[in-house]
Amino acid sequence: MDDDSQQPQSMQAIGVELSEDNGNEMSSEQKNIEASAAETKADDLVDANPNQKDLTDSDNTLEDSGDFPGISSVMGGVPSDVSSPTAPLQREEDVTAESWRTKRKHVFVLSEAGKPIYSRYGNEEALSSTMGVMMALVSFVQSGNNSIRSIHSDKQKVVFLQQGPLVLVSVSRAPQSEEQLGKELQYVYYQIISMLTQASVARIFERKKNYDLRRLLAGSEKILDSLLDLLDTDPGFLLGAVRCVALPCQLRDSLSSILTKAITPNLVFSILVAEHQLVTVVQERAVIEDCRLDPADLHLLLNLIGASSAFQAGEIWTPICLPRFNPDGYFYAYISYLDSSCTVCLVLLSTDKESFYAVSGCKKKIQEAMEAQNSLQALAGALRCCSYSVSLVGVPELLHFVYKPLDIPDIYRQLPQFTSPEPDGPYSSEEERQRLFDLYRYLHCRIHSSARPLRLIYHVAEKETLLAWVTSKFELYTAFSSLVTKVGAINVITKLLRWIKREEDRLFIRYPPKYSTTPVPGKGVKSGRTDRTDPSQNGFFTGL
Amino acid sequence: MMKKPDLKVVLLGDMNVGKTSLLHRYMERRFQDTVSTVGGAFYLKQWGPYNISIWDTAGREQFHGLGSMYCRSASVIILTYDVCNMQSLVELEDRFLDLTDTASDDCIFAVVGNKIDLTDDLEAAESDGERLRRGSATKLRKQVHTEDAIALYKRIMKYRMVDEIHAPAADKMCFETSAKNGYNVDLLFESVFNMVIPLIVKKKANGPDDTVNLAQNHHVKKAKSGCC
Ligand SMILES: Nc1nc2c(ncn2[C@@H]2O[C@H](COP(=O)(O)OP(=O)(O)OP(=O)(O)O)[C@@H](O)[C@H]2O)c(=O)[nH]1
Ligand SMILES: [Mg+2]
Repeated sequence: MDDDSQQPQSMQAIGVELSEDNGNEMSSEQKNIEASAAETKADDLVDANPNQKDLTDSDNTLEDSGDFPGISSVMGGVPSDVSSPTAPLQREEDVTAESWRTKRKHVFVLSEAGKPIYSRYGNEEALSSTMGVMMALVSFVQSGNNSIRSIHSDKQKVVFLQQGPLVLVSVSRAPQSEEQLGKELQYVYYQIISMLTQASVARIFERKKNYDLRRLLAGSEKILDSLLDLLDTDPGFLLGAVRCVALPCQLRDSLSSILTKAITPNLVFSILVAEHQLVTVVQERAVIEDCRLDPADLHLLLNLIGASSAFQAGEIWTPICLPRFNPDGYFYAYISYLDSSCTVCLVLLSTDKESFYAVSGCKKKIQEAMEAQNSLQALAGALRCCSYSVSLVGVPELLHFVYKPLDIPDIYRQLPQFTSPEPDGPYSSEEERQRLFDLYRYLHCRIHSSARPLRLIYHVAEKETLLAWVTSKFELYTAFSSLVTKVGAINVITKLLRWIKREEDRLFIRYPPKYSTTPVPGKGVKSGRTDRTDPSQNGFFTGL
Repeated sequence: MMKKPDLKVVLLGDMNVGKTSLLHRYMERRFQDTVSTVGGAFYLKQWGPYNISIWDTAGREQFHGLGSMYCRSASVIILTYDVCNMQSLVELEDRFLDLTDTASDDCIFAVVGNKIDLTDDLEAAESDGERLRRGSATKLRKQVHTEDAIALYKRIMKYRMVDEIHAPAADKMCFETSAKNGYNVDLLFESVFNMVIPLIVKKKANGPDDTVNLAQNHHVKKAKSGCC
């Protein structure tokens, strides 16, 4: 990282650039609807943030952003039910009850014909009339050659996403932008595709418009449930980046090199995971040239594994589609735990359906090499201290941060990454974590606003002060104790950037290696391509 | 490469009937929460001098087409249903039986009714103090009776075109089990292992070429035409 960029003066330069902004960047359609909410909350806002007005008036070199009504309603009082994500009886929930209606975020999936496919809370059957109403709305707007994107009211947003024959709907009271909610629906769609492929879903509905897709998704609800829980807690989805386990560089390198040595034809990705986080990933050279492993695909894969693991002795062999890589083809995933407590998991992706035994042989090799080098013990040791506290940075005013480097050397740009400490101190409770995450979401939405992107935001919230900053080298979100001054914040960030620079070999995968599997005779060119979806390979059509 | 397994056992049946739980009970001597299986899961079991591979398959329709791959050259197929769910027995015949076309010609079949602990079946429920604790009021009616399973077994033999005289007797191949309290679980796996080992011994004696080759790449063609 170039040290110049970390100096306060460059920050000032950006500030000047921003000084033309008048601080009012809600897009016009949103403004109308949100204005009323903003009015009613205006007083609270001033009370909650006595400094805020000062800041905007005296100094508009830094973008201030106290004018977000959604956030104020969260800061101001009780958010409607920050439901614990793992409430056990979700599916049996009474859909007429108040508790169901006031859930923070509902997500529904239905077919174009209006058939229910998935609902986050309550079972889809009981909800079919609700879904019917939604579908009526969608088709009404479609008939006018428009498509519904969203409906806003002062308490919630309803966002629609149509993907092929599926309609996805989010009904949210969370203070999130329409864009963010739409992106979450996209993830839900991709997770469905990761199990069925886009081509199959399209073909199924071409043949039978009112097909009940639940037949094929039965048993997969848990996977979608856990995805939605992750979307509400893991910044990786928001940032389009993956968090990897913090590890001594040498250990990571030696693990990567073990993976590159255990290969077999048609093996294209070898991924080592610990506690649902990435340790290392190596890929076939032929694949890396023209394609990349998308962080979204990795998120979906890890979620699927987390939500459907076998017990330790077993080796799983299952088809899986990586929708960003190729929405129409399958990989065959070999999944096996390497330790008795099921924390370290090996995932090998092959393009050959028949290669289970060969791939399982690779795992044997990997296991033997890891035993010889005592890697599992070393990894277990590192895992014990891999999630770190923000106090490690050594700046008391810094409460939390999320950092995504953008300066990874060119060839390694394949996998965007981020790092962030375990939320502790003031963010130890679930409610406070959610509140912090909502603030980050808000800043993220402002930074990436398509209408008016920003590079720097200084935001005074109720309990803390936040600063979001994007340069060509990184994207950074920080939370400070509210006592910090603007100059103080800049000093803290300088220290933080130095700390990250020192630790970056440990926090990120810097040099992911590649391997070449020898081509199979007569099949060579095919390696690196996923199989085309072939109806005979899977059971999708047996029911038709 | 891995040590080549001597024989292959495959668990088939609708989702939620308890295939993973049965295997878990047998291998780890425990009953614990499971998640619905994706694809198939492979286990290796040492049985005397023999290596037995066991495939626990996913019952979800999503993975249906893979069944014939897992079944290829299987020596034992365990068809599992839930005794409280008649449909799960019906599915065995409708959806799973033709997957077994790729199994070995002399494949042994077992029909297993699981979750017997949920029923008012006296003998099974009492193998555990459970009946007393839960009270019989919460027990479900047993929907599938042993006779239904035996009738299914006979139809399977017909489907496989095996003369009943040569096949193991139906009443010996139909089991009622509980993965939860362990009832009949060891009996199930050990009986099928003991029954199939002589076949393996015979095969080995007939020459190494006849040994079950699980990599089986050269059988792909045959399997594809057989399944869909
Ligand atoms: N009472 C009782 N419950 C059981 C028994 N066996 C399994 N279950 C429960 O039934 C549910 C499904 O069990 P699994 O073993 O996952 O079923 P499966 O056949 O492997 O399902 P798929 O992997 O989806 O094909 C779980 O909630 C188990 O706890 C049993 O013998 N008695
Ligand atoms: Mg299972």
